[in-house]
Amino acid sequence: MGYAAARGGLDAIEAAENLVRRKRLNADCDWVTPDQIVGRFRLAVDRVMGEAGLWEEELAAIAIRQAEGDLIEAVHLLRSYRSTLPRFAYSEVTDADELRVIRRIVPAFRNPPGPQLLGRTSDYTGRLLELSSEVAGQEEAQLLASLALTQEQHPSQPSGDQQQQQPRRLLETLREMDLMVDRRRLDDPEPFDITRTPARPPASRSARLSSMSRAETGALVNQWYRNILGPDGYLHEVTLGEVRHGYLPLRIVHPITGNPVAIGNIRVTEVEAIEDLNGIEEERDRFDVGYGICLGHNEKKAIAMANLDIACHRDNGRSQIEQSLLLTTDGLDSSGFLEHLKLPHYVTFRSMMERKNAVRQARKNGQSK
Amino acid sequence: MTTLLNNLIDNNESEQFGILDEYSKREIRRAVLTAVAVPGYQVPFGSREMPVARGWGSGGLQITLAVIGPNDVIKVIDQGDDQGVNAVNLRRLIVQSTKVSETTTAAKSSIVQSRHRIPEDGLDQRHILVLQVPVPEPLRGVERDMRELARMHAEADYSKMWVSLYEDKVRNGVITQTTGYPCLVNDRYVIATTPIPRWDIPKLDHSPFLTLFGAGREKRIYAVPPFTKVEPLTFEDVPFEVEKTEGATCSQCGSNSSFLVEIPGALSRWVCSDTDWCERNLEGNL
Amino acid sequence: MTSVVSPEWVLKVNQLGKIFGGLSENGLALTGPETGSSKDPVTGAIVAAWNVSFEVAAGEALGVVGESGSGKSTVMRCIAGDQSSSAGSVQIRTSPNEQIDVLSLTPSERRQLRIDKIAVVYQDPAEGLDLNVTAGGNIASPLTAAGWRNFSSIRSRASELLLRTEVPLNRMDDVVKSFSGGMKQRVQLAKALANRPPIVLLDEPTTGLDASVAAGVLDLIRGLLEEFGLAAVVVSHDFSVIEMLTNRCIVMNHGRVVETALTDQLLEDPHHPYSQKLVSAARA
Repeated sequence: MGYAAARGGLDAIEAAENLVRRKRLNADCDWVTPDQIVGRFRLAVDRVMGEAGLWEEELAAIAIRQAEGDLIEAVHLLRSYRSTLPRFAYSEVTDADELRVIRRIVPAFRNPPGPQLLGRTSDYTGRLLELSSEVAGQEEAQLLASLALTQEQHPSQPSGDQQQQQPRRLLETLREMDLMVDRRRLDDPEPFDITRTPARPPASRSARLSSMSRAETGALVNQWYRNILGPDGYLHEVTLGEVRHGYLPLRIVHPITGNPVAIGNIRVTEVEAIEDLNGIEEERDRFDVGYGICLGHNEKKAIAMANLDIACHRDNGRSQIEQSLLLTTDGLDSSGFLEHLKLPHYVTFRSMMERKNAVRQARKNGQSK
Repeated sequence: MTTLLNNLIDNNESEQFGILDEYSKREIRRAVLTAVAVPGYQVPFGSREMPVARGWGSGGLQITLAVIGPNDVIKVIDQGDDQGVNAVNLRRLIVQSTKVSETTTAAKSSIVQSRHRIPEDGLDQRHILVLQVPVPEPLRGVERDMRELARMHAEADYSKMWVSLYEDKVRNGVITQTTGYPCLVNDRYVIATTPIPRWDIPKLDHSPFLTLFGAGREKRIYAVPPFTKVEPLTFEDVPFEVEKTEGATCSQCGSNSSFLVEIPGALSRWVCSDTDWCERNLEGNL
Repeated sequence: MTSVVSPEWVLKVNQLGKIFGGLSENGLALTGPETGSSKDPVTGAIVAAWNVSFEVAAGEALGVVGESGSGKSTVMRCIAGDQSSSAGSVQIRTSPNEQIDVLSLTPSERRQLRIDKIAVVYQDPAEGLDLNVTAGGNIASPLTAAGWRNFSSIRSRASELLLRTEVPLNRMDDVVKSFSGGMKQRVQLAKALANRPPIVLLDEPTTGLDASVAAGVLDLIRGLLEEFGLAAVVVSHDFSVIEMLTNRCIVMNHGRVVETALTDQLLEDPHHPYSQKLVSAARA
């Protein structure tokens, strides 16, 4: 019949899908393999795994390829894939002190306990676009390999001593100096599972941390920044005590023996942010700490998270920062809802048009201001 | 844990019915049962990520896939149209993953999943109507803080809503709320009515069918059980008005008793939004 | 300390107390007028109010007077339910057969009281009104909370109240934000009286207004207290307000009541040194 503008029907949808698939498969360049994506775009892969809440590099790479590089779309593909899988085990609690670091920096001290280990970072590399050819790049790589300059340690080949791999935390030192507020608590023992129960204010700290850990990176950075320069202003800048990137072992209880067994490692970024307390009802002679952790190597996200964690704690329900964190930082929620505006809305619009006429009529009859 | 592992093995042996795993379906059904038991109350649930985006019917889809069985017959509409792009997409997902049969006629279906409309006819005690909900909170226009919103619902403190209706009437001479008109369910909870047009609101009141509202993004499910009072919030002396344009008739079937949408232009025309109803009316087949 | 006794009390406050933070063992002895501070020197806790008792009958207004920080607003907020209290009791008697122990109610039940039993007029209109809503809409709020569902009835009740509080009716449909300070207080009064509550609490109702405007609002309040037979508590640092509105009053200093008297007597012959200081400052 085709009388309504927004009618598409099955044929149109299938034609659109075919066009996408054809363009993807028949692009004028080589097909890219998942291991190339994992190898060449590791930060994109890490980000997608973190925002999806699913550790699986190859699947993340496939998702990125299928989404043609749209990372939020790739996260969506991974998460909805996971929805189809039954959950058959919860991992045991892992002590974050077990983290085997491949990078660790402590901005708060020049010589902290343990190493300042720069690891693999471009933080101090000039942002110069490298226009050299692929051949030149390969030659350079060979040169570097011959110099054996690679800093990164592989978990299966540990190097260095215990203190190098699992350095003592700055926080421990500060605690020994009685400079930290002790707010360990016993009423939030089981981590809140945000995939099973919606986290809504007032929420436990683990619910807030889980939400932020899975949040869209840009959204979290923005939440932080709008507090610095935007209208909110619920937080001030912290001093970073730890920025760590490394491997954490994962264990589950064996279904038959009942003993915990290690099933592998995940890579995480962990941040501890030291907060200067100045509130009238706060312990002003001590510091407090905010915590951030997320899957993969994503320092922007973990730093924003740690800063927002302590800001939310100090806010203590006075403002709506908690609601903002829990409800506005999920990339699938926000971008899905934004894009739904493209769906047909002609029934609602017809209703709006009708009310416009009703208002005009009322005004004509002198029933309104 | 061991039991769970064994269940998993069992599950893998049978083919998965309708995208979601059995645990997720069970959880959604529990939320649905709570929603039916407390009409109008927004039940939180652990909304899953679906193969459609949040805001594109993921909540309605989860409900449909949790309550559907092999003998069900599904009808899916968007804006009243079975052929709308979103309707086609959702129907395809449901049918492919469950192999249930489909129809465009409400009376021949057992479950209708819809965005923005209730079919003009055909729904009775045998039917479940699943409505996709973008914004489940009816009070969000008057209050943003979720803790305060929870308190207002708990205490049935809806005076802010009434004040906003009062202000609307004072300023505009009419109540300008368009679709998703706030309704009091069972004399207790105020709900957001999806947005369906005001035209469809009377169909909810004491309806013989069960209506389930699914908000995937906001992770809420609520319900209007059969034969439940649904009352649009309005003052006793300010009648509730449905969309009506004087003299408008469907340019296809000639109806003036169905919900019509406009085809704008120099010579505006009108057509039924419920395309299946329109076709049956045209055929003299209502 | 003798409490002010009223045979037919509508509001009875008995040994009300509010402490912020944890008090040390001798915290009560270490605070109050004698020590010159409401702050516990050991723990830093604040004894905002302690051992405050009074009764108010219908048609009677009690003044609570003191400097800022004396605890008078804390007392009012504890009665109103804006703040929780640490000790004591608050009872209201809305009919010979109905007596309510206010502090034992749930937060939800306390909010219910605010609809038609206890009304509050705040110094800051933003606390008592929604400034983005019209004058009529602000009055519609308690009316709809009490179950009013007829648009015309709400309109006529609102205009009746605005007329009584001397707000020009042609301003009824304007948002309150656009009103002058005195006019906002008049709208607060109209809203407070919407459901004819037996009790009204007024917290510095004219502070911050120009003298001539304040005088007009005070005049209005006095008339309303009389006309509606209200049991009123008037919190103020300003003796002219206390003198104009109240029959009896209590003087608070560092969280404690230091003097209880008939208002006329207090102004003529204050007993406690702190009261004497306040009165002489007001006379100067």
